[in-house]
Amino acid sequence: MKAYVSSVGFTAVADHWGKSLLDIAYEASTAALKGSPRVKPQQVFVGNMFSAAGAGQEQLGALVADAVGLAGVPAVKVESACASGAAAFNLAYSLVKGGVIDSALVVGVEKMRDVEPDDITRVLTLAESSEYTQFVGASFAALNGMLARHYMEQLDVTRDELSSLPVLDHANAVSAEHAQFRKAITPEAVARSGMVADPLRLFDCSPVGDGAAAAVIVNDKAAGTTKGGLVEVLGGRIATSEFSMYGRDDMLRFRATEDSFREAMQQAGLAQSKLDFLEIHDSFSVMGALSLEAMGLSKRGQGGMDAKQGKFDLNSELSVNTFGGLKARGNPIGATGVYQIAEAYLQLTGRAGANQVKGAEFGATQSVGGIDTTSAVHVFGRAA
Amino acid sequence: MKSKTPVAIKGYGAYIPYYRLPTSETARVWRGGGSGPNVEKAVASMDEDTTTMAIEAATYATRMAGVKELGAVFVGTESKPYAVKPTSTVVAQALGQHHALAADLEFACKAGTEAIQIITGLIGSGMISAGLAIGMDTAQGRPGDDLELTAGSGGAAYVLGAKDSSDVALIDCSTSYVSDTPDFWRRSHERYPRHLSRFTGEPAYFHHIETAVNSLFEDTGHKSSDFKYAIFHQPNPRFPVEVAVRLGFNADQIKTGLLNPQIGNTYAGSSPLGLAAVLDEASPGDKILLASFGSGAGSDAFCIEVQDGILEKRGMNPTVKSMVEHAARIDYSTYTKFRGKLNR
Amino acid sequence: MGIQHWRIRDRYYRLMGNRCEKCGAEFFPPVYRCKKCGSEKLVDADMPRTGKILTYTQLHEPLPGFEDQSPMFIALVELENGTRVVGQVVDSPDDSVRTGAKAKAVFRRVQVDGDSGQILYGYKFVIAS
Repeated sequence: MKAYVSSVGFTAVADHWGKSLLDIAYEASTAALKGSPRVKPQQVFVGNMFSAAGAGQEQLGALVADAVGLAGVPAVKVESACASGAAAFNLAYSLVKGGVIDSALVVGVEKMRDVEPDDITRVLTLAESSEYTQFVGASFAALNGMLARHYMEQLDVTRDELSSLPVLDHANAVSAEHAQFRKAITPEAVARSGMVADPLRLFDCSPVGDGAAAAVIVNDKAAGTTKGGLVEVLGGRIATSEFSMYGRDDMLRFRATEDSFREAMQQAGLAQSKLDFLEIHDSFSVMGALSLEAMGLSKRGQGGMDAKQGKFDLNSELSVNTFGGLKARGNPIGATGVYQIAEAYLQLTGRAGANQVKGAEFGATQSVGGIDTTSAVHVFGRAA
Repeated sequence: MKSKTPVAIKGYGAYIPYYRLPTSETARVWRGGGSGPNVEKAVASMDEDTTTMAIEAATYATRMAGVKELGAVFVGTESKPYAVKPTSTVVAQALGQHHALAADLEFACKAGTEAIQIITGLIGSGMISAGLAIGMDTAQGRPGDDLELTAGSGGAAYVLGAKDSSDVALIDCSTSYVSDTPDFWRRSHERYPRHLSRFTGEPAYFHHIETAVNSLFEDTGHKSSDFKYAIFHQPNPRFPVEVAVRLGFNADQIKTGLLNPQIGNTYAGSSPLGLAAVLDEASPGDKILLASFGSGAGSDAFCIEVQDGILEKRGMNPTVKSMVEHAARIDYSTYTKFRGKLNR
Repeated sequence: MGIQHWRIRDRYYRLMGNRCEKCGAEFFPPVYRCKKCGSEKLVDADMPRTGKILTYTQLHEPLPGFEDQSPMFIALVELENGTRVVGQVVDSPDDSVRTGAKAKAVFRRVQVDGDSGQILYGYKFVIAS
């Protein structure tokens, strides 16, 4: 049995002050549903991390299902921190591919701006140990700052090399309509931006924003119903590693990403060199570099250097973060994983506009919760 | 007061926080210049309080003492973090000691020394075998008041037990003298204390210390020249020097225990810290006179005799001197932030 | 947080982790199963209170409750027994906080619930000379 993404829908990533969590979830969902007019999804999966903190709302599965006219359909909320969206997609994909259901609606949604500004960093850190990380005042920015320093000191990585990924992201986002930040930046601007968690600066860190992205998944039984084309899901895998990064022997080794990427690619039967594009989880610049290295696309310590040398530019050997990645397209936590998947869909159906990877045949998305605590990788290919 | 069974100090530990506020800074803000009677005072950081400092000192003291079970944990302070909820139980928990009589004592600056007396009694009567007495404070003076120049943070902890061969110093005897004297007080819900300025001298500090010490001399037959060291409560640098002279002590006898110029008045920690400084250098056989003073008012005077056991315990913990020297100066505005003196 | 803190106060006050009775491996935070040999036979054990800084950062975006201390140093300290602890570094000159520096655990107020709520104590670190 094969599984396909038959349509996608998404809002721009922005500060949607005037819209509620359900407003944007509805917007993205109905756009996706309209793209697969003859599909009535048999299950709804909502990926979200902190609807309780921001909107005082739980039970999102039934909430969204009811809103889009699917009351009665099985519906659940899926949470895996920043990988919530990709995790939701993975569960949906698994059930559809396995023939348990023939179609599903996946929606990733997050309203970060509804959280009190002073509270956002606390809410994000809910993904780390309550008793031993949150309690002592260490936020994710702090953990990534420590990781970045460790990375730079151990592997001789320079400030300039680390800056290359944010620079690449912003370059690609200029022509990406749904991206949050659409201005190019220079490495100097990255190095000069305000200090967040030394050595990480503002431009090393993905922004706060709101967004919702949705996808309709179908299998062979439901195929032939799409308006925009089918993209085959060739592989998909969630892997986890030791919960806190500091318990790991080698903090610079993202084993969850290593595992999920290897497994997903194996399922797809693809060699790495066949990938035309890759959407990576650069919530912080160091996360992006270490992700590339974990997936074997750069040697250890070389992720930033490779980006600096243009190895991941749009329409190079391997286009990375084709619409701006987490730094420039944005990172509305629970929605991010589905944005990556929607972008892969656009690439493989030839609808990526100015951001098109020419002749794209295969691509992958990598979404992470925490510091590689959960990693969800999916591999896509043009449907025959 | 002399315990039936001899009781000795088995271990001791001091704690002085890292920060210092020069009196020239305080005087700059409130008087346009000049300085106070002391050079500077020790200031607890934003994340410190009497409980945190008591535990640091207690950890040193219990390490030196090597005692497994404590039958009592007493903390004497006038700056309890909770008005109701004992500091002593947090100390006990941190030390893993649950089968203990725990209590917080308040008698202004002599709450630490009376903890020593009470625990001496508990051990001397055979009710417990070892106990922990702590004098510690982060006491405050009202912004702009003279007391703000001297009111500092710090103190020391003492593990006491029945006399044996591992003693640091013997608590030979003590005498207390009290009366109802309104030299300095703080009403229940008030933030800062009040005092009667010059009245805190003769009728309060001097009267009670002199009476207690002379009473001790009478009971024991000792005289000032019998003592190698004398430690007095130190609200400022002058009072202890003056009372020493009146009681027949000289500058050499009091200099080791005189810490006020560098750290200010650490209230219930004051004479316990002075004692710790002396124990850091004293030799077996040395006699020490210690007289605390607590406003309200009273004085506890002790005759303490250094034992042979002090030699092998020397160097186990950082010295008071090293704590005095491990310091960073802050300005008055940082001080107000650290000590929560700003209205928000 | 008060009840959560109370439940594991010994861990905060004494850096109490646990030790595998079978193979001797030590862990902080404590684990349910030994990461080395998988045994469930673990006993509480106080960790050493000294170690060295593996990596650190100076955080400029504080978590709630830490605003007054911002910017603040957070370090990953490797204790003498190899366990790693994340904690704030305090009372140390800025230039003394570096990878490799010796650190010592101290007992401090970690979180305070305003003027009327609970004081939650725990561990922080100072750079040791």
